[in-house]
Amino acid sequence: MANKRERLATVSYHSLMIVLTFAYIFPALWAVSMSLRTNENMFSASQLIPHPVTLEHYARLFEALPDLWRYFANTLVIAILGTAGTLFSSSLAGYALARFRFPGRGLLLITMLITLMVPVHATLIPQYVIFRELGWLNSPLPIIVPMLFGTPFATFFFRQYFLTLPAELEDAAAIDGAGPWRTFFTVMTPLSGPAHLALGLLTFVSLWNSYFVNSIYLARQDSWVLTQALQSMISRYQAQYGAIMAGVTLVSLPVLIAYLFFQRRIVHGISMTGLAN
Amino acid sequence: MPSSGRRSRHKSGRSLSRRRALTALLFVAPQVFGLVAFTAVPLVASLVYSFTHWDLVAPSPTFVGMDNWEALFTDDRVPTVLWNTVRFILVGTSTFLVFSLVAALLTFTPRRMVGLYRAAMFLPYVLSQIAVGVVWRWMFNSQSGPVTNIVELITGQSPDWLLDPATAMPSIAMVVTWQTIGYGMTLYIAALQGVPVSLLEASTIDGANRWQRFRHVTVPMISPTIFFLAVTSLIGAFQLFDPVVAMTGASVGSAGPASAGGPSNSTRTIVLYMYNQMFNYNERVSGLGYAAAIAWLLAILIFLVTVVQFIAGSRWVHYEGVSLSRGRRRTRGRR
Repeated sequence: MANKRERLATVSYHSLMIVLTFAYIFPALWAVSMSLRTNENMFSASQLIPHPVTLEHYARLFEALPDLWRYFANTLVIAILGTAGTLFSSSLAGYALARFRFPGRGLLLITMLITLMVPVHATLIPQYVIFRELGWLNSPLPIIVPMLFGTPFATFFFRQYFLTLPAELEDAAAIDGAGPWRTFFTVMTPLSGPAHLALGLLTFVSLWNSYFVNSIYLARQDSWVLTQALQSMISRYQAQYGAIMAGVTLVSLPVLIAYLFFQRRIVHGISMTGLAN
Repeated sequence: MPSSGRRSRHKSGRSLSRRRALTALLFVAPQVFGLVAFTAVPLVASLVYSFTHWDLVAPSPTFVGMDNWEALFTDDRVPTVLWNTVRFILVGTSTFLVFSLVAALLTFTPRRMVGLYRAAMFLPYVLSQIAVGVVWRWMFNSQSGPVTNIVELITGQSPDWLLDPATAMPSIAMVVTWQTIGYGMTLYIAALQGVPVSLLEASTIDGANRWQRFRHVTVPMISPTIFFLAVTSLIGAFQLFDPVVAMTGASVGSAGPASAGGPSNSTRTIVLYMYNQMFNYNERVSGLGYAAAIAWLLAILIFLVTVVQFIAGSRWVHYEGVSLSRGRRRTRGRR
């Protein structure tokens, strides 16, 4: 009897969850589906799984936006260099904040905390003026260069991670005669692989997806990133939903693949950010 | 922190610890430079700019005293954009906090398939807000959008969603909630798994029912997470931009940010208005100077709201309970 009730509870739980999650990701499924439908079937409710499948919208997308590869390359350059720079500088700073005592340490921690509250907009205008003066507008530099010095968020993340590592390893390295630099690069950096991976993924994804800052600095069309191209499709394609959804799918595909492969890492990284803060 | 003390005990000698401090300063040098060059100096410079007028055509800004700041209080678009942000928060933040908790309660117990449900719920969070906005723009389409069709099927009539000033901002808020539930859920799950089973069992023995257990044991135990999510989602809500541009940008001509904010300014946010003014040089009070004043207003609002939340939070957020993490969490609560 109890067993039967338990099974009923399990079945109803899973039925509920399957319906809920399906409804939840329905818009994403619907978008991909629309990108693969023929124009005649575009608004048919029975076409969740499109038949026949067509790639004409993707072809049209590349025809109408021949620079799509360029936007792809621009986005990739920003995301890769920005991520690499952040990981390098923030892991250095995070390590020092976790392990060393030095003058100004408390001040640095408090400044970083306050910085987390400062919206990018409040620093945007002077930066815009400087980067314009330097001739950096319409280039990825205004977005990449500030990230090369690390971000407070990433530094906190690394500090929190290094605090969880035992100090014995460094003591052993010190006994072997390794200085702090060698210890950091040959012992601690390899050990913090999980932190690099989690934070690297988070940073990469957020750079890949970002729009606001790009729309400020990258006004000329050949310097665009993908999100800007996607935004422009709203008016470029008006009612041609197949092409718009093809654009959405293409732009989302790299992060979706990263998510499928590294889902645990990304989710774990996210839950670590909650603790770190 | 304890390790740093331990290290200096290992190696005595003044010059050595001084060398270590020097090394540490080199380690943090890039981050310190970044903070100074890209946050501290620009933040102050922004304030200076807010007392000037500059259209970027003139070789340099002109000092205009309090003009921009006075304009903030007389410009009738400012109350509109503030009110729009409040409307977004009323719908968006509350639904985010509640629905992501519901999602977490449904999936925090480890059992078969639960990883799949969580993965599906988290998925929208990794997508760009532009892509999500473009898709939902279609979902809300008044002729053949699926949301419109389904609501019409049930109630016989559907609102115009993004085309009606009354529903446009709540619609955007619902989309942002949809996209971020996975994030809130993830943090809630971690918190729920930290609620000691013994505490729940003890309250059951004391005769507490399900709701009472939830209300008087679970909620206080996860209140630091609720608090953290409330603070960060409010900070984010004040900076709303991308979803508005994706969902309300014009569908003819240039769809850029300048065309967004409709219908009838009902979705124009603080940041969108700042963007508008930054590249608008046609009015007496406009341009970079006025945009800088708007940006500072935004920063001040975020600061005030966060401070108020911390003051209010000290009344309802429970940091005691888990004795192990008590010390650390306390300091976290005080910030």
